[in-house]
Amino acid sequence: MENDKENIIQAVVIMDLFNNNFEPISNKNPMGLLPVAGVPIIDYVLESLVSGGVGEAILFCCQDSLQIKDHVKKCKENKVPWSITLDVQIISSDTCQTMGDVMREIDAAGLVRGYFILLGINSITNINFAALLEQHKQTCKKDKGAAMTLVYKEVAWQHPLLSNDKTLLLAVDGRNHKILMHQKYKPKSKETSVSLPLECVLQHSEVKLHNNLVDANIAICSPSVPPLFSDNFDFQNRDDFIHGILINEDILASSLYYTMMKETQYGAAITNWKTYQTVCWDILHNWVYPLSIETDSFYKNTFMYMGRHIFRKTNSSLSRSCTLVEDVLVGAKTHISDMSRVSKSMIGNNCTIGNHVIIHGSHIMNNVVIKDNCQIINSFINDNCIVEMNSNLEGVVASDNVCIEEGSNLKGNILVETIKNGNDITLKKTSSESGTEWENESSGKEDDEYVGFDEEWSNSESCYSSDSSAESSLPDSPIPEDTNIFLQEVIDSLARGYEENLKCDYLILEINSSRYAYNIQLHEVNFFVVRALLSMPILEDTKSVLSTVKDILKYFRPVISNYIKTKSSIMDCLKAVEDSCIKNIWLDGKAGQIIHLLYEADIVDEDSLLEWYEDLKENESPLKDQTSIVKFFEWLQEASEESEDSD
Amino acid sequence: MPPTEGSLKDLDDKTSESVVKFVSEVRSGKIQGSENIAVATVDLLEKIISESETTNALSLCNLVRAVGRNLVQALPTELAAGNMVRRVLRAIRDEQRAHANQSVEGAGESLQRLVLAAPSRRATLGPAARDLKEPIRDHIAELRAELDASTSSISSQARSHVHADELLLTYGASALVECFLRAAGTRRFRLLLAEGPDVAESHAMAARLATAGVSVALVGGAAVGALMPRVNKVVLGAAAALAGGAALATAGALAVTAAAAHHAVSVVVLSPLWSLSALHARGGQLFEALAPASRALPYQGVESALVRVEAPLYDVVPPEHITLFITNLGGSSPSYIYRLLSELYDPNDYQL
Repeated sequence: MENDKENIIQAVVIMDLFNNNFEPISNKNPMGLLPVAGVPIIDYVLESLVSGGVGEAILFCCQDSLQIKDHVKKCKENKVPWSITLDVQIISSDTCQTMGDVMREIDAAGLVRGYFILLGINSITNINFAALLEQHKQTCKKDKGAAMTLVYKEVAWQHPLLSNDKTLLLAVDGRNHKILMHQKYKPKSKETSVSLPLECVLQHSEVKLHNNLVDANIAICSPSVPPLFSDNFDFQNRDDFIHGILINEDILASSLYYTMMKETQYGAAITNWKTYQTVCWDILHNWVYPLSIETDSFYKNTFMYMGRHIFRKTNSSLSRSCTLVEDVLVGAKTHISDMSRVSKSMIGNNCTIGNHVIIHGSHIMNNVVIKDNCQIINSFINDNCIVEMNSNLEGVVASDNVCIEEGSNLKGNILVETIKNGNDITLKKTSSESGTEWENESSGKEDDEYVGFDEEWSNSESCYSSDSSAESSLPDSPIPEDTNIFLQEVIDSLARGYEENLKCDYLILEINSSRYAYNIQLHEVNFFVVRALLSMPILEDTKSVLSTVKDILKYFRPVISNYIKTKSSIMDCLKAVEDSCIKNIWLDGKAGQIIHLLYEADIVDEDSLLEWYEDLKENESPLKDQTSIVKFFEWLQEASEESEDSD
Repeated sequence: MPPTEGSLKDLDDKTSESVVKFVSEVRSGKIQGSENIAVATVDLLEKIISESETTNALSLCNLVRAVGRNLVQALPTELAAGNMVRRVLRAIRDEQRAHANQSVEGAGESLQRLVLAAPSRRATLGPAARDLKEPIRDHIAELRAELDASTSSISSQARSHVHADELLLTYGASALVECFLRAAGTRRFRLLLAEGPDVAESHAMAARLATAGVSVALVGGAAVGALMPRVNKVVLGAAAALAGGAALATAGALAVTAAAAHHAVSVVVLSPLWSLSALHARGGQLFEALAPASRALPYQGVESALVRVEAPLYDVVPPEHITLFITNLGGSSPSYIYRLLSELYDPNDYQL
């Protein structure tokens, strides 16, 4: 019996995406219940696990675990095929904010027994997990440190699944499929050159470069993966993990491998609205067999096939003069009235579509009413919405219970229903002037891309977010991206520490962990810590900048003394002051006073100050003529002469 | 519904669980091929019957019918499963009749006899307090033996159909056709193997036949029309033989048989008894069933996301294209299939 249990393949499904790509739909309902071609994603995932030979699934929910639990319970009661052979365990933890937290939690709870499969709730695939796991075990026999085998699907590089997502550049050893470099680019990035580390080419006889891979968010993991996450608490997501392993391959004694799916197998991850749309069509086109639109109907075959990939439930009703062009899914008890035209769209249950309605490329959920003469193109309309007459929607995402007014003309909006004063329902429009802005909503995290539907059926550039907030806050900064993010993080943690009176020891830990996450050199850390101290948001608002700076220096004295110890670090510190005084307007003209404060706090010594002053003059820095600086150095000169005199 | 039946009943938890398990195994490809599905269905039915608590004919019939209904609904393209259910139902009915001392010749009797015998027939499935399980198990064992022997009994007829110096043509890969041709191997015939939709399997079959000493030439599916005038006989494997004498064969077979009909070449269809189905070849979901799109095109290029791929699973070959069906019992013409059906199945069970 014991032995039996060990042979059961375990899979960990992370039920959240930890981003806001599917807002506002993902706010109320968990991602797992988002219908893809009429079937909740979770059903596809569990079904694919069963047909892939997995015996035990651990669903890790970070929010809305109750809804998932209800769904799974209902499925078990209904004897859904997967419920018989698959043992489903639902773990919920509200404290997890990232995938890294989830893995640490899994490690702490000891949930996995050995090798396991790690996949996201957004992975749609029909691969044989058991075979891949076996392959990974073989790899592990050759290389004890093999931590993860990443599973990719090779497609043409213009494929919509690639062009609408972050593209990936992978450098691998052609002989043993070991990953050497892993780089993700933003969608439609303008980057034209690729930098490849030299040792990558020198140390391996055969190196393959791939930029035609779809990341299906599936990985086969060794037992060492959860502990690795625990040891490196700066790993936030899988990409962090991959980067961390690749950079510190020797220290962590781990390596990564990749494998490609067969030609006939399908694998994709739903990461944004466009990939959502592509995956829906692929399912309708039967690419993902045995997963299909019938996956949740327990093999009852309630769909009627009408040719041209048009499927309708047997109890739906179509008017005689309506036209279904191609790739249409019509749910149960839905009625489509006269002269309406539907193409490439999924329509849910109990919907009513009026006369002369045109629907193209849209996803309409349950109980939606669309009145006469509407035009709905590339939109997502959630449950219980009402679209009044003569409306024109393009690229709209509407959350549930929204009522769209008569004759409205919306392009690229996100519509959210808000409830004010009891039952008074009003419509909150996330306004956008040009219709290009709504993809930029993702101000929360720097690595999010909110990609919406195209307004026109073209691949317009405008659909992709260009810059995220962290970068745009320092637009003219010549600093490369990683260090920039690092600076922002240090500022954030210091500001929080100052506000909440945290112990400086913790802050040092935090800064150090960010340092490893972005691979920052020590001298850069010294520079950025001081730079961050002088860029704290509190300084922007305060009236007496100098006294605040004094408070800050006093409070963070342990932090500063931790970093600024040696002669060279003092020089870094002074350079940071120089940089801050040039860039931050609130420090304009106050360089001398700041340096004075540092001098008084015994952070910088006299020799370094003089050396720095020489540097300033040499480099023709704009600071050298500033009156406060000149005055300070005059004072310093006098002070030192005085002390010499007294000797 | 015939009056001899009880109401349509739903399955209890345990049975429906094993049915669902069976269905998901078939759908996920763990059980592949019509013959294996037929065998697995018989196993499933035996298990369900031996686990059921009831022993009388009426409730067993209802149970098996309910299982059959579920199977047919879940696997509309796998006709073999439904056929096996009908065979077992027939066995139950026969057993009951034999014990009621009635003629086993139930099906296909004259109208007059049907009318006269109606009251007694109605009684045939009445609740009787006898244990039917044991005899039914014997029937199932017989059925299983028949399934096992079907390939060999069809192959053994090969020598009476394949003659020396003939040019045969077959389409696509089929294990049954391969066995059939091997059995005819001592005759010095030549074979043209036209590639079916499963190109790799066709090639593998050609290689195996060549090593077995058959002179094989592999031709493209499109070349069949041009080659047909020289061909003496077309041998096809069928996924199912349908009630009207039509056959359900791999997609593309219709083009082959149409060419054969045009050139008056005889078409021999190999159909074991388990593939005989009570369905008629009328338009319906089954005949438009789509195979996974990846069978026609790998999911790789841009086109795979943009185009609509239709990969039909079957072609219906009309009876007028078919010269002879070869079953376990020997050759029979398409117009005779209905008779075989009435021997195998009870007319009450055509509709599960």
